[in-house]
Amino acid sequence: MKFGGTSVATLPRWQNIRELVASRRAEGARVLVVVSALTGVTDALKQMCAQGESGKRSEAAKAIAQRHYDLLDHMQLAMPDTLGDRLADLARLADEGVATLGELAWQAQVQAHGELMSSALGAAFLSHSGLTTQWLDARDCLAAIALPNQNERTRLLSSMVDSRPDPVLAARLATLGEVFITQGFIARESQGRTVLLGRGGSDTSASYFGALLKAQRVEIWTDVAGMFTANPRQVSGARLLQRLDYEEAQEIASTGAKVLHPRCLSPLRESRVPLLIKDTNRPELDGTVIGPEVRAHAPSVKAISARKGITLVSMESVGMWQQVGFLADVFTHFKQHGLSVDLIGSAETNVTVSLDPTENLLDSDAIAALASDLAKVCRVKVIAPCAAITLVGRGMRSLLHTLSGVLAEFGQLRVHMISQSSNNLNLTFVVDEEVVDTLLPHLHDLLIGAGALRTDDSELFGPSWQALYGSGEVPGAATAWWRESQRQRLLELAAEATPRYVYHLPTVRQQARELNTLSAVDRLHYAVKANTHPAILRALVAEGFAFECVSPGELKAVSAIVPEATPLLFTPNFAPREDYVFALGTRATVTLDSLYPIEHWGELFRGREIVLRVDLGRGLGHHEKVRTGGSGSKFGLPLDQLAIFLQQAETHGVIVRGLHAHLGSGVLDAGHWGEVYAQLASLAERIGSVTFLNIGGGLGVPSHPGEARLDIAELDRVLREVKAAYPQYQLWMEPGRYLVADAGVLLARVTQQKGKGAFRYLGIDTGMNSLIRPALYDAWHEIVNLSRLAEPATALYQVVGPICESGDVLGTDRRLPEAQEGDVMLIAQAGAYGKVMSSHYNLRDEADEIVIE
Amino acid sequence: MSKMIQPRLTQLFRFVRCSYADGVAELVYAFDDGEELIERIRFPHAPAIPAARAAAFDAALKLLHLIAGVSYYKAGVPPKIEVASGPLDDATAELLDQLYLHGLAEFAYRNGLDLRGRIAFPRGGVAPTVGTLSLPKRTLVPIGGGKDSLVAVEAIKSIGGEATAVWVGNSALIAACAERTGLPTLNIQRELAPGLFELNRLGAWNGHIPVTAVNSAILAVAAILYGYDSIAFANERSASAATLEYEGQQVNHQWSKGYAFEQLLGNWLHTHVASDLDYCSLLRPYSELAITRAFAKLTPYFDAFSSCNRNFKLLGPKPADRWCGQCPKCHFVFLALAPFLPKPRLLSIFGRNLLDDENQAAGFDALLEYQDHKPFECVGEGAEARAAMYALSQRPEWQEDALIERFRSEILPQLDASQLALEPWLEPSAEQRVSARLQAALAAIG
Repeated sequence: MKFGGTSVATLPRWQNIRELVASRRAEGARVLVVVSALTGVTDALKQMCAQGESGKRSEAAKAIAQRHYDLLDHMQLAMPDTLGDRLADLARLADEGVATLGELAWQAQVQAHGELMSSALGAAFLSHSGLTTQWLDARDCLAAIALPNQNERTRLLSSMVDSRPDPVLAARLATLGEVFITQGFIARESQGRTVLLGRGGSDTSASYFGALLKAQRVEIWTDVAGMFTANPRQVSGARLLQRLDYEEAQEIASTGAKVLHPRCLSPLRESRVPLLIKDTNRPELDGTVIGPEVRAHAPSVKAISARKGITLVSMESVGMWQQVGFLADVFTHFKQHGLSVDLIGSAETNVTVSLDPTENLLDSDAIAALASDLAKVCRVKVIAPCAAITLVGRGMRSLLHTLSGVLAEFGQLRVHMISQSSNNLNLTFVVDEEVVDTLLPHLHDLLIGAGALRTDDSELFGPSWQALYGSGEVPGAATAWWRESQRQRLLELAAEATPRYVYHLPTVRQQARELNTLSAVDRLHYAVKANTHPAILRALVAEGFAFECVSPGELKAVSAIVPEATPLLFTPNFAPREDYVFALGTRATVTLDSLYPIEHWGELFRGREIVLRVDLGRGLGHHEKVRTGGSGSKFGLPLDQLAIFLQQAETHGVIVRGLHAHLGSGVLDAGHWGEVYAQLASLAERIGSVTFLNIGGGLGVPSHPGEARLDIAELDRVLREVKAAYPQYQLWMEPGRYLVADAGVLLARVTQQKGKGAFRYLGIDTGMNSLIRPALYDAWHEIVNLSRLAEPATALYQVVGPICESGDVLGTDRRLPEAQEGDVMLIAQAGAYGKVMSSHYNLRDEADEIVIE
Repeated sequence: MSKMIQPRLTQLFRFVRCSYADGVAELVYAFDDGEELIERIRFPHAPAIPAARAAAFDAALKLLHLIAGVSYYKAGVPPKIEVASGPLDDATAELLDQLYLHGLAEFAYRNGLDLRGRIAFPRGGVAPTVGTLSLPKRTLVPIGGGKDSLVAVEAIKSIGGEATAVWVGNSALIAACAERTGLPTLNIQRELAPGLFELNRLGAWNGHIPVTAVNSAILAVAAILYGYDSIAFANERSASAATLEYEGQQVNHQWSKGYAFEQLLGNWLHTHVASDLDYCSLLRPYSELAITRAFAKLTPYFDAFSSCNRNFKLLGPKPADRWCGQCPKCHFVFLALAPFLPKPRLLSIFGRNLLDDENQAAGFDALLEYQDHKPFECVGEGAEARAAMYALSQRPEWQEDALIERFRSEILPQLDASQLALEPWLEPSAEQRVSARLQAALAAIG
């Protein structure tokens, strides 16, 4: 059992260790505890090593000793001799300095004291609390081996240990007791000097002991329950990986996961000792088991990870790669400058390699010197900062066909390099570092959606990080209104006529009330383009909403329904001049989103207050769907034209009262609005007349079952935080789909079925003419057979409509009960962008609309 | 309620009164007979003012009133200025005439106004005589979150000087940088009169004001209040260079960071507040490049500082949370640090490579004064930027980046390569007014 620095730094954590050790004893196991130094002590020792003056070193040693005195004090223990000896040693080493031992050996000796002291202290505590514990000097057990590539530094500070099973040691321990405590991080070399194991050393020590003793298992106790399908700090929906084989785990650890140092797996792989990762604070959680067994499982991507700070060196040369020895010469330069190459990609005229962010790379002239040398033989380009995004899973190549959606996402980015190793465990893309934070959660979702990351396999995948550690309640999926309470009603309505849209007003109200809890928002506008049904408009008037329109038609429709006092917002895009003329004749607040209207029709707006829609674009931080930002999008004024716009506004006496930006749609991460809000606010500070900021809508509605809902409380927290920084601005939003999507369903009836090869088509009496979203955006709508809701879903259908278009598909590969002609099919989440986007195509009748309470 | 004012049609700007009690200074202004505009400046944990310093404090407070008025005056730019407490002595009036004219030059240029002949503070008062106050030998160092003030801090620390990191207003970024310095900190709050926002709504003139002058005056009050013998800014040589010339007038975005203002204010403080209160810039003799070279050694600040002029009120851990990557400051600091840092380190600071992005070409062109004038920002001189760019164009690890490549093929052939050396920029000039006590710190930078 291995415990890290924070786990050994306080009395309560030691009490926790005691309980965990006792529980293992109760299971009949003999226990060896491996500990790190108290948190911060190793760093303090390193600093002490760097200190030139003996007086200051002694002071530092005293401060370090004090940490241990304090903890002893808390434990109400007297100073044990074992610890006293160590403290005296340390004081002596501090006083003497490098002199007798030689610099590196002295450093190793000094730094080893962190673990020597913590383990001595732990032995005293555990024995005192009734668990007789033998203190073991790890240096008597772990023998460092000399390797051909080592220099004195690596030999002493980053050593390797012989991990072949050692029956003699095992027998010796058997005679000594049942519970042992020893040090991580340290070992001894052939000349008897103390050596360190380098980064991740304590985990590695635990593995060495596990291998030497042929342990039942190695347990790494840390602050998280194990390895996840992605870094939980980046992807809160990341799932716990319950089972991994050594190679997969090593790959995940090497490509980003911090929970385990990749070094510590190889000693165990040979001896086939399993490793278990457990959460010290939540021992009841299953954790991750890493072992040799590869049981039969469907091939699946196991994790997606990202490593940042990657530097690429691209070398361009004509025809030289084929020359014998050329590459060897090139790589010699990397070796000379102490740079180790990770990924390699090559073409006829180009070889590109990646370098990890080592200190040598960041803080020395290595890269400049390397580039100078390489420039003599080829054209060099140093590309950074990049990030390597790696998909890990055994049998990656057999998964390629499932990755098309994921690969399409990379199509939107600058991909500098793709690499796949022959062991078939990984697939790596190197992209610009700045896109990673937003890209990763999106890719994780896509992998699940595409069935490449088989989270449905509960053997392999545990709960999400959000569910285990997330703050507050995980918003649960309430049963949809149509599934139970209104099902009978819907069947009756379908019996009257299909196709037909049905809207459930209580759901609209419920969504509206939820948004009304956003205390940071001063005014909510319903973006009526999502659904202009009068009953819905009336329901939202009653909930206090204002309205956002994008055309004179919408303005007229809304004006006919809502009271005079209700505020209106007019936010058109590429609208003709007369649209503005019309809107200016109403009470609507007009938004401009390009230079043209103010340049060419400036007088139209004289004396008026307007809102300016800007495109925050690429590079301003948010990358939600890169394609909607930047020059590729037709919306919004580019920021480089802002000064001209303001000048024009000044010329025409137009007052810019509000700033507006829109993220795109379907956003489920609250942080995005905070970013847009803060960016708008900092822009507004340069424009004296602005009093409100409109951060748009785009509040996502999850479509797949089990997908987490947008956390409205979290959104409010994020918005309030920005508001506290910019209290002078009112905050507006304009949600559309969020309010109405779940409130509407499309009812249709089964017409015919067809089998074709392996496919089974299920025809219904309407298609893309009523609901174009699946064809237009690949949108996923849940589809159920409402007539047979309780029957087992045994058939796999392609659900299609009657339109003469091969794209007239409403759902692919849907598990549904065997259907019959006339069955009522329900297409869910059709309340937004359903009826409003429908057409007469093929001159088929339009679906009608029914409103229910 | 007073009647609605049309700010641009006002005739008179009035300095109504100023007062101080319990750590709060109140500065009161008005246009015509309009509502009073009251600005408040809060000095935290303010001690009682020692009697010996009372006169000096009043003089400093009065100057603060007069200087901070620039934020309000500019809303209407009326033809007449009135000071309720009576006419100013010539030196004071001269300082303010200069500050309002040059400090608002960019504002005037952008708004198509001509302020020459319009700004005349009332004269005819009598100058006081002041002596030494034996102020404690310690220094107020204003922190801006950027590299310059951090170089100044480290220079003072290197000579064992006693100093306090001070800043005005709320900024998480500055607070984080100030904390990183390890110095004691002082955060003074400035609350603009709410009436100013109302004036803006009513169509007031708007634009750049000489904010460094306002902060300098605040720190002069603070120095007397808390007891400091020096205020050491971190304004460099290029701050004195004009951004452009317009109808015969020099327009300098950073005039109040320039040497002319430093001399005016420094001398004024010696003659009107205390002969032992020194106001200077510790970086004055140095070019931006000399300063970035010094900063390149200060690794502990790399993940905390930002010179970006987007106002990041909320901090995040990513480079993009501190650097917008699009403004002239981002462009300049990136370029000026590049010759002195390993490339991967520089890119890790910014989170992206601005010189390998074609979309940034126009921004860098402006810095090089290629096809454009220098931006209205606190950035180095064009020749300095060209020298940095030239240095990079000779480095294999930079050569192939899009904008360096473009510089080599398109811009460099039009330049005289003999004018592009980096080294001359690293030499300090003679121009500085640093007090004897801090001379060693000055030398530590170069």
